[in-house]
Amino acid sequence: MPLLTPLRFSWRRLPAAGVPVKNLGLRTVASGASSPSGASPKAFNIFDRDLKRKQKNWAARQPEPMKFDYLKEEVGSRIADRVYDIARDFRLALDVGCGRGYVAEHLNKETVGKFFQTDIAENALKNALETEIPTVSVLADEEFLPFRENTFDLVVSSLSLHWVNDLPRALEQIHYVLKPDGVFIGAMFGGDTLFELRCSLQLAETEREGGFSPHVSPFTAVNDLGHLLGRAGFNTLTVDTDEIQVNYPGMFELMEDLQGMGESNCAWNRKALLHRDTMLAAAAVYQEMYRNEDGSVPATYQIYYMIGWKYHDSQARPAERGSATVSFGELGKINDLMSQGKKSQ
Amino acid sequence: MSGNGAVWGRVRSRLRAFPECLAACGAEAAAYGRCVQASTAPGGCLKKDLCAQEFEALRSCFAAAAKNTLTGGR
Repeated sequence: MPLLTPLRFSWRRLPAAGVPVKNLGLRTVASGASSPSGASPKAFNIFDRDLKRKQKNWAARQPEPMKFDYLKEEVGSRIADRVYDIARDFRLALDVGCGRGYVAEHLNKETVGKFFQTDIAENALKNALETEIPTVSVLADEEFLPFRENTFDLVVSSLSLHWVNDLPRALEQIHYVLKPDGVFIGAMFGGDTLFELRCSLQLAETEREGGFSPHVSPFTAVNDLGHLLGRAGFNTLTVDTDEIQVNYPGMFELMEDLQGMGESNCAWNRKALLHRDTMLAAAAVYQEMYRNEDGSVPATYQIYYMIGWKYHDSQARPAERGSATVSFGELGKINDLMSQGKKSQ
Repeated sequence: MSGNGAVWGRVRSRLRAFPECLAACGAEAAAYGRCVQASTAPGGCLKKDLCAQEFEALRSCFAAAAKNTLTGGR
């Protein structure tokens, strides 16, 4: 499968307030959050994307990347299931934040004609997994997709949007590159993910150091996800959640696995140092508060799956006002109405 | 990570021994965990060094276990 990196973007982020939207070729979407008055650039700069790229590169360069891939493989296969559920074939598809290509691995070339894989980490693209679909690898940031409007029939994104700074804008970009009647299927981590780790670190840090700082990155709430998709212009939204619980021998193994997955914290407000005492205390608290019967500790990953369509005339729309033939008041007689319908057939 | 990564390698190998040493101190860890968990009950208040005693016991046990694994490994 050819590996092309034709477009390499510089990693200096555009100042959010300084670049007018129309210069980037995007349609302006009326959205309250990006109003110029009082909108500080810091509002959408939570994560250090440079560091995230280094972390993902490091993770992909390890001797045994397969050891840490289990979660992404699982979610990739569930997204592929959702793609198969749609009774359509897609000529051109895009995977945003693909990692080593966990979705493409599970799809066949009848369903998807050609797959564009984008990620910010070049090592992940170089070590991509085997797939029978012809792929093109492009080095690109999720917020700055280098594609024209109305290009793709299908866009998928598996577990990478939770590290995006400006999520509304990333979703708008995805909407922009989709063709009308194209579909976006995404999965991202949700609010309850790693709550055991978060709580243990919080309690241990409070007891040992007198205060605590965030160690687990902030996640989007499920209500906000629906709003964001609607604001980006998607139609016919579906959001559902899934919980995967993985058991680990202890907290240190969990943290090692998270690092191996490339999911280490990269928020700007992270504390640079985690004291050994605090780590020890947190591991003890984790064991005591959350352990299973067999002595292992669980870690919860809550995944939100979202499906959104780009508008097309052929899609079902709400009916015209005043076109109703039956009134809600007749709901009590629904059995008669249904048998009447059957008789007339 | 700079140079030949010697410091990084040393620190990581020490960190990798943590789970083993922690496993050797199950009782102390459980006591500390119970103390912290008790403070999360309604009416409890988690302050700095609330469970300092239990933690000291845990830390000394952990240090002893770490010394044993290091001397045993050489």
